[in-house]
Amino acid sequence: MIRLQNVEKVYRTSAIETLALNNINLNVKKGEFVSIMGPSGCGKSTLLNIMGLLDEPSRGHIEIDGSKVDKYHDKNLAQLRNKKLGFIFQSFHLINDLSVIDNVEIPLLYRSSSARQRRELAQEALEKVGLSNRMKHFPKQLSGGQKQRVAIARAIVGKPEIILADEPTGNLDSAMGNEILSILQKLNEDGATIVMVTHDDAMARRTHRLIRLFDGTQVL
Amino acid sequence: MLRHLFKLIWNKKGAHSLLIIEIWASFMVLFGVLSLIAFNLNNYLEPIGFEYKDVWVLDLSTNQDTVNLPEKSLRIMQRIRSYPEVISASRTSANTPFSANQMSNSSTYNKVSVSHDFYVTDEDFSKTLDLPLRKGRWYEESDISARFIPIVINKKMEDKLFANENPLGKLIKENDTLSYKIVGVVDKYKAKGEFMTDNPALFKMLKKEDWDRNVLIKVKPGTDANFEARLVKDIAAMTDQWGIEVSYLSESRKNRQNLTVIPVVIFLVICGFLLTNVALGLFGILNLNIAKRKNEIGLRRAMGATEGNVTTQFLGEIWVLATFSLIIGLIFAVQFPLMHVFDLNSEIYITAILASITVIYIIVTLCAWLPSRQASLIHPALALHED
Repeated sequence: MIRLQNVEKVYRTSAIETLALNNINLNVKKGEFVSIMGPSGCGKSTLLNIMGLLDEPSRGHIEIDGSKVDKYHDKNLAQLRNKKLGFIFQSFHLINDLSVIDNVEIPLLYRSSSARQRRELAQEALEKVGLSNRMKHFPKQLSGGQKQRVAIARAIVGKPEIILADEPTGNLDSAMGNEILSILQKLNEDGATIVMVTHDDAMARRTHRLIRLFDGTQVL
Repeated sequence: MLRHLFKLIWNKKGAHSLLIIEIWASFMVLFGVLSLIAFNLNNYLEPIGFEYKDVWVLDLSTNQDTVNLPEKSLRIMQRIRSYPEVISASRTSANTPFSANQMSNSSTYNKVSVSHDFYVTDEDFSKTLDLPLRKGRWYEESDISARFIPIVINKKMEDKLFANENPLGKLIKENDTLSYKIVGVVDKYKAKGEFMTDNPALFKMLKKEDWDRNVLIKVKPGTDANFEARLVKDIAAMTDQWGIEVSYLSESRKNRQNLTVIPVVIFLVICGFLLTNVALGLFGILNLNIAKRKNEIGLRRAMGATEGNVTTQFLGEIWVLATFSLIIGLIFAVQFPLMHVFDLNSEIYITAILASITVIYIIVTLCAWLPSRQASLIHPALALHED
């Protein structure tokens, strides 16, 4: 589903060069639930951003669902992100000025769908994460766990095949974290391919496969 | 997407209220200035109706002399007309073209009363100012013996008093004892120049025995100051201690135009200064706004927004904000044409409203374009990383 070949990422400033990822070769199969672990600064988020087409590798190739995306332009990449990928972030990234349901609808704004369709799909996604009773609330009125569930609803509203989660339980207590992971597991059982960055061994053990990074190099 | 933008702005209306007030105030000031410009431009585009080139105004001040003025006046006119340089000359009341003097009155026909400008001139006035007639003729010397004083009106006055009726030969009343008979209709006569409104006008015949101090003289093209000096010298020789002044209509026209143009330019400069301040403020606020919303930009990019979508979104937000302000502004502005404030044509206000809306949208677009474009170029991974 996601294939990375000889991926390298170098951050350059006028003074120094930092090798964030070094020769990463990775193949995430359809329906897999993969976790990425490693110490802070080892390149986990960079790897996830590259997989999510939010960042470009300095070298190497990326394939998403069999398509090489190296030469894709902004418009094609945006379309691919919109249709194939769903993102979940540690700090939720909800827009505080929009209600829960309006936040969930955001990915659908960038594809051709009517207001009615958007509303129906957003309601369906919120029902899946158990927040159908909070649709008119604003993010500030929600707990951390509820916010993350809204973020999951937003990630799945467009029915993407791949979900990329960057420390989705990082800002939550263990009970809330478990709840979020259960939702992700359920989504995986329903067919979604999930790649999750985490610091938590217990969480990682509940996924199909673990990838370990150290100083930008894949060690496991 | 539009609905989404309206929702986003509406939910942040508190934070945007000052910006909305600022755009609203700019719209109102712009509407005022553009109404003034539209009014003057509208007038300017209408012809003044007469020819002012090579026409001089002779101002005769009798000072202490009160003896035989009509006779002296007649002799002076004969002398003026005798010069080969003079094409035509006409005695007229003090409200000569482009002067600051104004005479007005009201006249009634069939119980309809119209206020109008009032000019007293002799039979050569139309020829001297090349004032063409639409209907009938200009009054002649022989008309003075008729029962009613002959007059000529302009089309504006004809429209107000007679609608579809033929005005020629009709009597209009100045009061219960004084009636005038219409012998002709001219098209326009904008005595105060291009920027004057085409007001109803009435020309009454000046009797030979009546004294009036102003004479309009149409001279041949190329007639120079030598003739002017000779004219003044000759007339001075015919009169005793009279003051004689010559001015040119083309010069008076320029002075008159300045009286209108200078205030408009001052208002424009003030308005331009205000709009520049608003634009700079808007630019700063938008830059700050975008810096604060980097996470949101990253998020939208991750959700599938293209660079173009991000640019459009920020531009769209400012357009929505401007639309809110303009809707409030329109509530005030539409009262002007609806209530015919200052008795101006509704078209002037509507033109000013449309022009103000266009200028406001152009300003907000120019101010929002660069910050919006910069927002779209923010790298999504970096934007998402910033807290």
